[in-house]
Amino acid sequence: MRNLTIMLLILCLGAAVGPGWADERPTVRIGVIAPRDIDGAEYSWGATLHQLSISLPDYRFEMRVLDQGAYRRILADGGVDFIIGNPAQYIELEAEFGVSRIATVEFAGGPAPSSAIGSLVFTRAGRADIPSFANLRGKRLVAIAPDLFGGFRVAWKEFAEQGFDPFTDAGSMEFVGEPVEKVFAAVRDGRADVGIARGCYLERLVAAGRLRGDDFVAIEGRTPERLRCQVSTPLYPDWPFAKLASTPDSLAKRVAQALLAMPAGENGLSWTVPVDYQPVHAVFRALKIGPYEYLRQRSIYQLARENWHWVAVVVLCLAWTLISLARVQYLVRLRTQQLNAAHLQTRREREKMEHAARLSLMGEMASSIAHEISQPLAAIVNYARGCQRRLADGHKLAEIEGGMTQIVAQAERAAIIVRRMRDFVRKRPPSPSLVNIGEILEETLDFFLPLAERQGVTLDYACEMPLPRVNADRIQIEEVLLNLLQNAVDAVKDTDERQVRLSATVVDGVLMVSVRDTGPGMSQETCERLFEAFYTTKPEGLGLGLSLCRSIVEAHGGRLTGENLPEGGTMLSFSLPIAQE
Amino acid sequence: MEPDLSPVVFVVDDDPAMRDSLVFLIGGVGHECVAFPSAEAFLAGGRRDRPGCLVVDVRMPGMSGLDLQQALKAEGTTLGIVFITGHGDVPMAVRAIRDGAVEFLEKPVNDQMLLDRIGDAIRKSIAATQLRRRRAEVEARRNRLTPRERAVLDLVVAGKPNKSIAAELDISVKTVEVHRHNVMEKMEVRSAVELARLFSSCLGGNP
Repeated sequence: MRNLTIMLLILCLGAAVGPGWADERPTVRIGVIAPRDIDGAEYSWGATLHQLSISLPDYRFEMRVLDQGAYRRILADGGVDFIIGNPAQYIELEAEFGVSRIATVEFAGGPAPSSAIGSLVFTRAGRADIPSFANLRGKRLVAIAPDLFGGFRVAWKEFAEQGFDPFTDAGSMEFVGEPVEKVFAAVRDGRADVGIARGCYLERLVAAGRLRGDDFVAIEGRTPERLRCQVSTPLYPDWPFAKLASTPDSLAKRVAQALLAMPAGENGLSWTVPVDYQPVHAVFRALKIGPYEYLRQRSIYQLARENWHWVAVVVLCLAWTLISLARVQYLVRLRTQQLNAAHLQTRREREKMEHAARLSLMGEMASSIAHEISQPLAAIVNYARGCQRRLADGHKLAEIEGGMTQIVAQAERAAIIVRRMRDFVRKRPPSPSLVNIGEILEETLDFFLPLAERQGVTLDYACEMPLPRVNADRIQIEEVLLNLLQNAVDAVKDTDERQVRLSATVVDGVLMVSVRDTGPGMSQETCERLFEAFYTTKPEGLGLGLSLCRSIVEAHGGRLTGENLPEGGTMLSFSLPIAQE
Repeated sequence: MEPDLSPVVFVVDDDPAMRDSLVFLIGGVGHECVAFPSAEAFLAGGRRDRPGCLVVDVRMPGMSGLDLQQALKAEGTTLGIVFITGHGDVPMAVRAIRDGAVEFLEKPVNDQMLLDRIGDAIRKSIAATQLRRRRAEVEARRNRLTPRERAVLDLVVAGKPNKSIAAELDISVKTVEVHRHNVMEKMEVRSAVELARLFSSCLGGNP
């Protein structure tokens, strides 16, 4: 209805002025945000457009009615030079597009332009339980829409000042939409306890015969001077006429002059100097909406300030947690370093001990080994002297070559023994690799067999062939074998039946290597303390051999055990896991 | 059959290199040299009727050098023994030498010393062998005598005149002369002086 009125008006104006003026006149576009509901009757702009056309004949004025939902986009596109809207819309556009008011609506015989809009909060006549806003708690509230300025928002601001939030404290908060009669009907018919509407609507509807005035009673109502209707809230400025930031000041000045000079038109509408819109700002700020929406975010800060002691507790807890975390981190790193250092230290100590044990074992075998080396050396001397004599005599010269060959062979034999000894006692970190256990057994025997025979000990070797491969450190396994063999030889060398047997078999997927002797067996104490470090039955022993053998075998994932055999003698066995290939 | 008096050197050592090198060294100076890997093998296979020398390692698995020395001593060997040791064991050396070993040498052996000792041992062995042979010969001749002739022989060697012998044996001088003649014949000597020399050289003067 109202849109049609305006459209007709524009068409009439266009028809009236269109043919008279040529198109080359610059066009001034005035945007009008479509008023709501019954405002349309009051806020009509035909006279204004007419006045501007007359006062500024060198311009062609055009009025565009902007839809509620679309005006922001049109303003952003620069679609208008001036804009007319309600105070709330103006406040928002001021913030968003930098529009500035150049005039404010004034009604002849009406309220002051700075105090024209207020809200009425009302209930059904006869209800005495809601004399003031303080009684609103728990009541059912009804209004047209949450974004209306004169109406819900102005009332909301008053509620907020009294600590009442209609969205949380009311029994219900319902928005019924236009037309405004629905609000009054809801209250009158008891579907709601309290209604909110723009001031003067009730009076206007009563005058139009669409409501009965005595059906309703205002809450905290009063009738300000010049307004002639009841309101429950303070009053706010009327609609402004604003220029956009891009509109030239000179044009704005001429338009302002024309507006101020305009006589009161239909409905008594005229323009006066722009009033202060700070009270509108105050409403938005208090409700933290529109341009002041950001205040809602600040409210977290305010909340924090109001509850500073809790904040302090939380901050302290957080700080304590952080400090604890940092401390834990630091301690973990520190302890890890210490642990690593300790591990390293332990490993070094272990390596030192292993080295000492190997040296000790070599010491125990030293005289045998010395003999082993002296044998080839003595043979070399004999061969060399034999060669010399043949050379000196000048006969049997053909035999010299054979002698020389033997010298080389014997020197190599001695060198191998020396190299093996050196390998054995050299300090080195263990380096496990896939090794053939059969080869290790044979090499160890090659080395040890003459030493055993030298002491009159018979050494048997029995093993299942082929033996599997194991993941092991060759020298360490040799060390274990040599220790076990030397112990066995020591056990039998002063007995009649001097036999040592080395055997290797695979039992249940595990390699078992055993060294058994025909000695007198171990005493009860020796059995119990067999693998104890520094326990020894040998005068020259360190007591480290078997203790280290056990740790070596266990480091390889095996077990080392020792027992007396029922038929006499001792058996020491170790197991090694077979490498998965 | 004329007995073989050429000397032989036996080498007994369990270490093949040592053994072979000793054979190489000793054989180089012209000795006949036979090697054995153990004392047992030597006792089983070594001819011990010839003069010679045994070079043996003191320590061996099984029978040791000293054990072998004892066994040979029991046999009444004429072989000279040279011990070689890698151990320099003094009490062992003393015992070995007391039991007749020529020398006790430490490895590595000085070749000249070894060969000298072998030479000494061979010489002694040859002498001992010859002495033994002569003694056996004399003993054999003496065994041909009758008891009465043997009694006369003892007194003749003791340097008694026929008259004293006759008086001592309570027989006539004539009978003594007959016995004396038979003794000279059977002992293959021409005079009492020769007979006395024969006994002193091989039986230490005691018939």
